[in-house]
Amino acid sequence: MKKLEDISKKNIFEVPDGYFEKLPGIIQARVAKPQPTPWFVPTLKFALPIFAILVVGIFWYSSQSQNTIEEQLAAIQTEQLVAYLDDATLNFDDLTESVTWSEDDLNELEEKVFSSFEVSETDLDLLLEEFSTENF
Amino acid sequence: MEDQELLFKIRNPETLSYGFNLLVRAYQQRVYWHVRKMVIDHDDADDLTQEVFIKVHKHIGSFREDSQLFTWIYRIATNECLTFLNKKRRRFFLPLEDVGKELSAKLDTSSDISGEDIQIKLQKVLLKLPDKQRLVFNMKYFDELSYEDMSAITKTSVGALKASYHHAVKKVEDYLTQ
Repeated sequence: MKKLEDISKKNIFEVPDGYFEKLPGIIQARVAKPQPTPWFVPTLKFALPIFAILVVGIFWYSSQSQNTIEEQLAAIQTEQLVAYLDDATLNFDDLTESVTWSEDDLNELEEKVFSSFEVSETDLDLLLEEFSTENF
Repeated sequence: MEDQELLFKIRNPETLSYGFNLLVRAYQQRVYWHVRKMVIDHDDADDLTQEVFIKVHKHIGSFREDSQLFTWIYRIATNECLTFLNKKRRRFFLPLEDVGKELSAKLDTSSDISGEDIQIKLQKVLLKLPDKQRLVFNMKYFDELSYEDMSAITKTSVGALKASYHHAVKKVEDYLTQ
C-alpha cells in the first residue's frame, strides 16, 4: 500500500510573479472604495417628503370638509346676511316653499294672523253699518 | 508584529489603513494557499482571498479576542471556500463528483501547477473526498495545524477532527494504491 509519508510535501501550485507584492494594494483599494448605496435609498430620499406632504394634505382637507353647514352659517355675521337678503331676488313664495312647516309652527302662525283680526263689538257694529249703507 | 499590536493599530482610526495593510501582508499567503488548495484555480483563489480580507476589514470591529486572530481569519477563509464550492455545484446542478472532475482537469491543464506526478496524483485523490474532509486533511497534512487550532477554526471537537483526518488518510492511501 502506498503511504503518505512516501510523498514529499511540496506545494505544486504557483502564482504569477509579484502576486503577493500587489495583492495588499488591490485589497486596500477595494476597501477604500465607498460601498454602493442600495437602489432604494435615493428613491426614498424623494418619496418620503412627497408622501409626508400627501398625508398632511389629506388630513387638512378631511378636517376642513367636516365643518357642517350650520357651523359655516354661524361663522357669517348677521349684517352680511341681512345685506345679502336685501339684495337677493327671493320672493315670499320661494321662501315659504323652501321651509318645511311643522304643525306647531302653523298653529302659531295662524294665531298671530287671526289676532290681528280681532275687532271689538263696537268696531264690528260700525263696520257692519258702514257696509250695509254702502252696499245694500 | 504581534496580533495585539496589529489590532491596536486597526482600532485607531488614524492608523487603521496602515494597520490593515500590515494585517494583509502578515496573513495573505496563509489565506491564499489555504483557499488555493480548496479551489485549485488561481483566479478563483485570488477572488476569494480578496473577499476574505474585505470581510475581515468589515467585521474586525466585532472581533472578540477570545480566539486568535489567525484562527478567526482562517475560519472566514474556510467559510468562503465552502460557500464558493456549494455555489459552483448549485449553479451548474453538478453532483460532488463532477465538481471534483472539473477541478481535477484543471490540475492537468493549468500552467501554474507544477510538481511530480505523485504530488499531482495526491491532489486528484484529495478531490475525491467530501469538501469538509478535504479541508480537515489540508489543514492537518499541509498546513500542519494543531487539532486545537483546527477545532477553533471549524468549531468541531478535537475527537471528531482526529477521526475525520485518520479516515481521510486511509481513503487517500487506498486511492493512491489503486
